[in-house]
Amino acid sequence: MERLEENLECSTDFDEEEYRAILDRIIRANRDVVVLSIVEETPMCGIDLIKEIFFRYGVYLSQGLVYPILYTLEEDGALKARATKGNMRVKEYFVTQEGKEVVHKKKGAFIKALEDVLIFVKGDARDKE
Amino acid sequence: MIRSSIKGFESILASDIPKGSIVLITGAEGTLKSSLAFCLASSYVSDGEAHGLYATLEQGKESHMRNMSYLGIKESGNLHVFDYRDIFIEWQDAEPDMLKVTEEVIASYKEKYKDLRVFVLDSLNALYTLSSGDGDLRKSMYYFFSRLRDLGLTSFLVVETPPLQGDSEHDKAEYFLADGVIELGTLESAGNISRYIQVRKMRATKHDIGKHKLVIGQDGLSILGSMY
Repeated sequence: MERLEENLECSTDFDEEEYRAILDRIIRANRDVVVLSIVEETPMCGIDLIKEIFFRYGVYLSQGLVYPILYTLEEDGALKARATKGNMRVKEYFVTQEGKEVVHKKKGAFIKALEDVLIFVKGDARDKE
Repeated sequence: MIRSSIKGFESILASDIPKGSIVLITGAEGTLKSSLAFCLASSYVSDGEAHGLYATLEQGKESHMRNMSYLGIKESGNLHVFDYRDIFIEWQDAEPDMLKVTEEVIASYKEKYKDLRVFVLDSLNALYTLSSGDGDLRKSMYYFFSRLRDLGLTSFLVVETPPLQGDSEHDKAEYFLADGVIELGTLESAGNISRYIQVRKMRATKHDIGKHKLVIGQDGLSILGSMY
């Protein structure tokens, strides 16, 4: 939770509860982008992904929301699983060469969509001032 | 078309199983419940447009697929297999409520594949065992069945029953809640053991309630004539 707390300390010009609710909705609705971005950075297994998302954003995604993402991305060829070094029974997922393009496009679309909303929301807020 | 998914099934069902039906596939171990469920679901999505989800709580994906291949049952790329093994291994200390997890898994696949039309749960017994003891399981199952119907999914739920069950087994809530019950079993006659399939219940579908011989051929499962 430290990273989320750090974010909150940076700005106090908003309602924290509202902020957490919005963050929760964004993460849930775009969990494929979040999962791909994290796994691209560091290959990991499902349980570690869920912990990492909670650590970064304070959002708890349950098993039923995360594992289907891993399996369908694996089916699509964007991710691949391999046994972890510490425990052969636990699989960690990493982005394949083919998947890098998928990550790039998904991230691009996500960023563009958020930017488009932000441009309007920020502009609207400025107009009111 | 479900009724054309297995050779001979058309002689038992006069029309197709209505979309959104919940059908139990019951029987003792080794009566081909998982194979039948997989075969029906795989065939349902073989047109390439619709998608299906096969959730396996008992057998690992690799082992299950090997078995299907051995039995000559064709797989469809649109039938997605969700294997709970990773969750069991990684979350063994947390014991997540598998009923809730299963609902979320279905929702996730429905989100990804808008045309998700068929769902298989293998098995309902395992789900009962792994569901949290909080609250009334019967009530939870009622809501689970309702959600499957709301999603418009034609669902096949595998239920393992004791080998020498009587009709009392069918007093259970899920038998009333389900739209259909397909029973699989074995019959012994003159030293020969044969597998059978019996459609005990199928709402809104005319069906033959007799026992029919179920065999494994080179092309998967086939249903032969009545056993009497």
